[in-house]
Amino acid sequence: MTHAADTQAPLAASRRRFSLSEGQVSVIRHLVLMSFALVVLFPFFWIVSAAFKTQIDLLMGHILFEPNLDGFINVIFDKTSDFLRNFGNSMVIGAVSTFLVLVIATLAAFSLYRLQWPGWVLHSLLGWSVIFHMVPPITLAGAWYSMFRSVGLDNTYSGIILAHTTLHLPMALWMMGVFVRDVPKELVEAAQIDGAKVPRILWHVVLPIVRPGLAATGILTFIFSWNEFPVVLVLSQRQTATVPLGIGKYAQENTIAFTEMAAASTLSILPAFLLLLFAQRFIVRGLTSGAVK
Amino acid sequence: MADVRLTGLSKSYGKLDVIKDVSLEIHDGEFVVLIGPSGCGKSTLLRMIAGLEGISSGTLEIGGVSMNDVPPRDRGISMVFQSYALYPHMNSADNMSFSLRLAGEEEAQRRSKVDRAADILGLGPYLDRLPRQLSGGQRQRVAMGRAIVRKPEVFLFDEPLSNLDAKLRVKMRAELKELHQKLKTTTIYVTHDQVEAMTLADRIVVLRDGEIEQIGTPLELYDNPANAFVGSFLGSPTMNLLNLEVSSENPSEARFSDGEALWLATPVAPGRATVGIRPECFALQSEAGSGALRAEVVVVEPTGASTELVVRKAGQNITVLSHERLSLKPGDNVWLVPNAERVHAFPDGAAA
Repeated sequence: MTHAADTQAPLAASRRRFSLSEGQVSVIRHLVLMSFALVVLFPFFWIVSAAFKTQIDLLMGHILFEPNLDGFINVIFDKTSDFLRNFGNSMVIGAVSTFLVLVIATLAAFSLYRLQWPGWVLHSLLGWSVIFHMVPPITLAGAWYSMFRSVGLDNTYSGIILAHTTLHLPMALWMMGVFVRDVPKELVEAAQIDGAKVPRILWHVVLPIVRPGLAATGILTFIFSWNEFPVVLVLSQRQTATVPLGIGKYAQENTIAFTEMAAASTLSILPAFLLLLFAQRFIVRGLTSGAVK
Repeated sequence: MADVRLTGLSKSYGKLDVIKDVSLEIHDGEFVVLIGPSGCGKSTLLRMIAGLEGISSGTLEIGGVSMNDVPPRDRGISMVFQSYALYPHMNSADNMSFSLRLAGEEEAQRRSKVDRAADILGLGPYLDRLPRQLSGGQRQRVAMGRAIVRKPEVFLFDEPLSNLDAKLRVKMRAELKELHQKLKTTTIYVTHDQVEAMTLADRIVVLRDGEIEQIGTPLELYDNPANAFVGSFLGSPTMNLLNLEVSSENPSEARFSDGEALWLATPVAPGRATVGIRPECFALQSEAGSGALRAEVVVVEPTGASTELVVRKAGQNITVLSHERLSLKPGDNVWLVPNAERVHAFPDGAAA
């Protein structure tokens, strides 16, 4: 024992010699956090600042510049620009496909987890949805294009909405599955005894409780649809093109309109940003507290 | 109100039989407690009566009508869950009136029914609160209110008090009993707490491994358990189960290995026997006497009202409950005089 104590004392002393004061630790912590913030925020900063530059300022790499709105004006008001239409298309496609995804995923999750299907039905459906989700969308796009063409759904909102709903359903099913499973079984049973059939159990008991889950899944689905590029690229033409296609179009064969591209990108961030700000209060945990126990 | 009749009720999951051929008749207005260790199938049986679990074979009748294929909502039952299962997004009044709303009753009528139930349960000031703003006991009452409001034929309770702290549990137990005396609705109550069973029940049904071990009034079961399992399950401190030898020449005498004998209430077949005797069925003596068994004190536990002793007799521990103030120390010798009428011999192998 004494021997061990003897060897430990100098060790502790040497550790003390290398130890940092609390102030130093705090400085290092903040440096690390700031560098993370830099990594995340710098691209945004670069794109937003590029949107306010002239093409010359941007290409010359000027750090100091006189901000101007030409990029935005061109994107929004130029007669040749489709950006506003793209924006509208994205809104409609995102909103409708998100709505469909939420309805189907919630019904499916409730059915799978609460209506006592045999285990193999549950597992094969969930397994299949994972595999489907892992397939790169571009491999499906070609097949969808020829299918949609033969039934007249190519270059239509319905076609793209259908494609986006299909693409994002697996993720939503998994997410809603987690939230639906969190609804205590006894609540469903209590509602059964109280006299509710399945539709009313869903409407009066399950939906109010999974509302935060619906908000979170809805936001994610909308953002995925908003950003989706390869499938709309194949399925749409000018009338139904969405925002990512609109941004992509600024890169043309001979020139790349960098400032317009940056301005369009900046504008395209807004809906997701506003959605998150607005919906944050819905994503509150603990709504179920007090239900059981 | 209605009687409930179970005839040869069974439930199996694949090859696993959870409930085996249970037959039971519960009379109109009776308070029946299903009790047993965890995993004995008591909750499953209750859920089968509620309609939350299917019935593999046998019939279930409520009020003389077969309920095997009737959905829970049409069985005329209300259930109080262990977890209360209150709807978290509805206030107490809405929780209680949900079933009435589903049945399409008028707002005013719903209100008056909820008010009446709230009156009975003392919930008046809490009707506007959400479940998360209520204490455990208040949630428990709301869950009971939800059950009362429907005016069911049968109340089902699934361990309703086990989430409450000890003090509140005693209080709610008394309230439950009072409620039953007021409403006189047929009640089936599941618990693993033998004190709850003894205090609440008109009749107790003891279950083990999906089978009924014994049915009877609390005192019948306490005084005349059918086997060692029932004997040791009811009562606290638990019944002493002693491993003794019954000789062939005197079948109403069970001997310890040191040769001293215990008189049995009824004679049994000779051989090894499990003999049950409750801790309060001994008188203590400080000297030897006829029929007194010598034992050595191991532990003395005074609780104020009574003293619990653990004594050792021929290698076996015996718990003795005495209501006298004792001045005994571990190591002292003491003589036990058992009340022969309360000594039960169970056929060996039936021990818990």
